[in-house]
Amino acid sequence: MERQIINKRKRVFSLQPNKNPNALFARRYVSHLVPALKKINMNKSSLKTNHQSFEKTVKHEVDMAFALSAQEFAWSRFLQQKLLSSPHDDLISTSSSPSEILERSSKKQVGEKYQDRDEEEGGEIKKRLKELQKLLPGGEEMNMEEILSEIGSYIVCLELQMIVLKSIVQDNTS
Amino acid sequence: MDLSVLDRLKWLQQQQMVSPEFLQILGSDGREELKRVESYLGNNNDELQSFRHFPEFGPDYDATDGCISRTSSFQMEPVKNNGHNRAIALHNKRKPEGKTEKREKKKIKAEDETESSMKGKTNMSNTETSSEIQKPDYIHVRARRGEATDRHSLAERARREKISKKMKCLQDIVPGCNKVTGKAGMLDEIINYVQSLQQQVEFLSMKLSVINPELECHIDDLSAKQFQAYFTGLPEADSKQSIMADFRSFPLHQQGSIDYSVMNGTKDQTSSSWETHSQCLYNSLRTDSVSNFFSLK
Repeated sequence: MERQIINKRKRVFSLQPNKNPNALFARRYVSHLVPALKKINMNKSSLKTNHQSFEKTVKHEVDMAFALSAQEFAWSRFLQQKLLSSPHDDLISTSSSPSEILERSSKKQVGEKYQDRDEEEGGEIKKRLKELQKLLPGGEEMNMEEILSEIGSYIVCLELQMIVLKSIVQDNTS
Repeated sequence: MDLSVLDRLKWLQQQQMVSPEFLQILGSDGREELKRVESYLGNNNDELQSFRHFPEFGPDYDATDGCISRTSSFQMEPVKNNGHNRAIALHNKRKPEGKTEKREKKKIKAEDETESSMKGKTNMSNTETSSEIQKPDYIHVRARRGEATDRHSLAERARREKISKKMKCLQDIVPGCNKVTGKAGMLDEIINYVQSLQQQVEFLSMKLSVINPELECHIDDLSAKQFQAYFTGLPEADSKQSIMADFRSFPLHQQGSIDYSVMNGTKDQTSSSWETHSQCLYNSLRTDSVSNFFSLK
C-alpha cells in the first residue's frame, strides 16, 4: 500500500527525456531487455530446452541489451560483435578470480619495501592493465589511455544495468 | 602585487567589450580566441596555468619545434618584471602596435606564469584543449622550471598528465579509491570492482532466468515508469532522496543477503566492503561523472 502511494507520488515524467544519460540508458535497456525476455518465454514453451541453455540465452539477451543501450562507447561495439559472432559461448568471463588478485597485491606490498619503487611500479601497473584489458570488452585492442577512458563509462553502465535488473527481479518476486 | 593569470584574462575579456582596436592586435582570430579564453574561465578555474593556444602570426613561429623551444626557453629568463612593468605592458595592449606587442604580451605572460608555477602550481598540457577547440596544429605544453624541454619528454609529460587526469575521474566513480594512492593500487580497486559488478550481473541474470516464466505483461510498463521516476532530470540532491525513499520500500535487506550469500563463497576478505558498495550504488547515482562520460565520444 505504502509502495503504491510512493509510486504514485514519484510518477514524474521529464519533459526532456533524453537529457539525463542515466534515464536514457535505463529506458533503452528496459526497452531492449523486456521484449527479448518475453520472446524467450514464448519460445521456451515450444522448445524443450534444459535449464542451462535457457540460462545462457537469458544471459545472452541481457548482454545484448546492455551493449545496445550504450551505443556511444567503443566497448559496446566490441561487445556487440562478440555477442553476434558467438552466441553460445560464455561471454563475460572473468579471467582471474578476485582472490588471486588479492594475493598478488599483498605480495606486491611486501616487495615494495625492498625494491626500487619506480621499477616495480611500472611492472605492476602493466600487470594490472593487462587484467583490465581482459575484463573490458575490446580491451585487447586499446592502449592505456583508451582503456582508462572506456572503463569509466563501462563501470557506470554496469551499475545502471544492475539497478535495472534488480528492480525487474524484485518486481517479479514480490 | 601580482596579477594572476585569471585576473588578467578577465581583464582582457573586458577589453574585448570595450576596445575593438584590441582585436586588431590579435587579428581576425581574436574574437574566436577570446571566446576560447572565456570558455576556459567558465569551465576550468583551476587550470589557470594552462598555456593558451595562440594563433601564430608571422614568420617567427615556423615549426612545432620552434614553438615549443621558444616557450620553454622563457623559463630560463629571470623574472624581471615588477607590477609596474606589467601594468605598462597591459596598458600597451590598447595601442594597435601589431605583432611585436603581441609577442611581448606573450612573453610577459609566460614569465608571470613561470613565477606562479614556481610557487608550486601544476601546469596542464594543452593537448586536451586542442582537441576541445579542434585546432590541432601544435601541442603546447608548459615546461616547469628546471625540467627537460626537449620534444620527447614534453610529449611524455603531456601523456602522463592525461593519464593522471583520467585516473582522477575514475577515482570519483569507483568507491573506495580515495584511501588508496598510486596507480597500481587504484587499478587493483578498479579491477576488483568491475569483476564484482560483472559477477552480480551474472547472478541477477541467473535469477531472472529462474523467475522468467512468471513475467507478466504489465510488469514492463511498471518498470519503465519507475525508472523514469528514478532517473528524471531532477537536481542531484532531490533525486538521491527520492531514490532512497523508493528503495526503502522494497525488501532491500532481504535481497541483499540473498545476493551475497553467493558472493561470500568466492570472496573471503572483501565481502563486507562489497556489501556496502552495492548499498552505495542504490544510494548514489553519480550524475556528474555519468554525464561526463556520456558527453564524450
